[in-house]
Amino acid sequence: MSNALRRVEIPIAITILCMLIQVIPYYVDIQVLNDTANLLQQWFLLVVTMATFVGLISVAQVHIKPIQKQSTGWYFSLIIIVCMVVMAITGLPLQEVGLGTTNAIYDFLFRYVQTPLESTTFSLLAFFITSAAYRAFRARNVEASLVLISGVLMVCFNAPMFTAFWSPFKTIGTWINDVPNAATMRAVTMGAALGTLALAVRTLMGIERGYLRGGGGE
Amino acid sequence: MALLIAGRIFGLIVLLVIMSATAFYIKRSEKGKIPKLRRVPGIDAIDEAIGRATEMGRPVMCAHGIGNLRDATTGPQTIAGLSVLSFVARRCVEVGVKLIVPVRQPEVWPIAADIVETAYKAAGKGDEFSSDDIRYLSSNQFGYASNYLGIMMRERPGANIMVGAYWAESLQLAEMGSIVGAMQITGTAQTSQLPFFLVASDYCLIGEEIFTAGAYLTQDAPLTASLAGQDIGRIIGVVLSILGTLLITGGSKLILDLFKW
Repeated sequence: MSNALRRVEIPIAITILCMLIQVIPYYVDIQVLNDTANLLQQWFLLVVTMATFVGLISVAQVHIKPIQKQSTGWYFSLIIIVCMVVMAITGLPLQEVGLGTTNAIYDFLFRYVQTPLESTTFSLLAFFITSAAYRAFRARNVEASLVLISGVLMVCFNAPMFTAFWSPFKTIGTWINDVPNAATMRAVTMGAALGTLALAVRTLMGIERGYLRGGGGE
Repeated sequence: MALLIAGRIFGLIVLLVIMSATAFYIKRSEKGKIPKLRRVPGIDAIDEAIGRATEMGRPVMCAHGIGNLRDATTGPQTIAGLSVLSFVARRCVEVGVKLIVPVRQPEVWPIAADIVETAYKAAGKGDEFSSDDIRYLSSNQFGYASNYLGIMMRERPGANIMVGAYWAESLQLAEMGSIVGAMQITGTAQTSQLPFFLVASDYCLIGEEIFTAGAYLTQDAPLTASLAGQDIGRIIGVVLSILGTLLITGGSKLILDLFKW
């Protein structure tokens, strides 16, 4: 029985069935199918919610070992575990006992720890952009030279100082944005949409199995 | 009451045409007529990147993006990333190099872990698999990013392979990979992040190339043949674009009406 349940055909059949239940109501108006699709989406939310616990277990697995062994940087692991436990408990949706998103500890950690940390990590992007631009903007060949020239023109277009000094920067920048850039982006978007569609068709036909046990082999 | 929903009929017809074309090419592949694939340098370089990491005695990092499985645009990218992970895991197990898989979405963690564990078991090295290497980092975008950056600084991977949906963290991750000296292969269908990947990585898979990676890497005949069906969709797209441009220029709204059908 357990071997039968491990057969790769079962998840493939579930995938195809779920896909059909989601796809058909998009084109065909049948109330039963609409209701089933909605129900399936609610089930999926339940699966995702349950999967959160899997995430917590993984974090615990990775970080408890360094604390036990007191290996290099073990105190960082301790901070993660403590924060995870405190946030999880104080954030429980139990308003009647003072827990939830309005809880003072949860609110403090969210406002004064998580939000500044997020902002800090995001702001690192500015430095990474500088170093990436330094590498990208080197005229090694024709293509790189075109990137360099376009980049410089776009910097001039976006900085009011330059457009005030020489107004054609505005026209050039708008043209680069609206013509070569838009054309390239549309081509990539259309290609990606077709790729998505083809992947969906392959999944629907049960031949795309890369996401299942390394291609479905058991 | 009409059974088919108005405004979606033309889309349904196009979908059925592409599906029929895909089915036709798959059937044809059973007779040995497999379409030829053009080389994709980014995918070809995966072996080279893993080999380099092995020679350097450093681990390989392989991420499948930060998107979930349920979103219509990012879900397929995550599936494409998992297909790449499947190949990378097999290769890493073959050559005996450590593979680290950072995960953002908890619902994807079991799938990623299953893929890597299967690769170990298939090679008869099931006991070497460690679920600690499939790391759920954080559901928070920048929590994930900072954790990923930290792992790269500590582990100093020899190869960093990132294929999937990425947002603002794409440049941070790719730049850090570059700083630690990892050979990087990236790919995404997020047009806003492509420029970052292009400048910061050694090879970049652009848009639809990530969706072909599964077929390309496995060289599986039906999968390869299905890509020809995708080309039929491309031809339809190009024909409609040209027709639409000409008709709109000529003052006709025929194509627009067709889309609204």
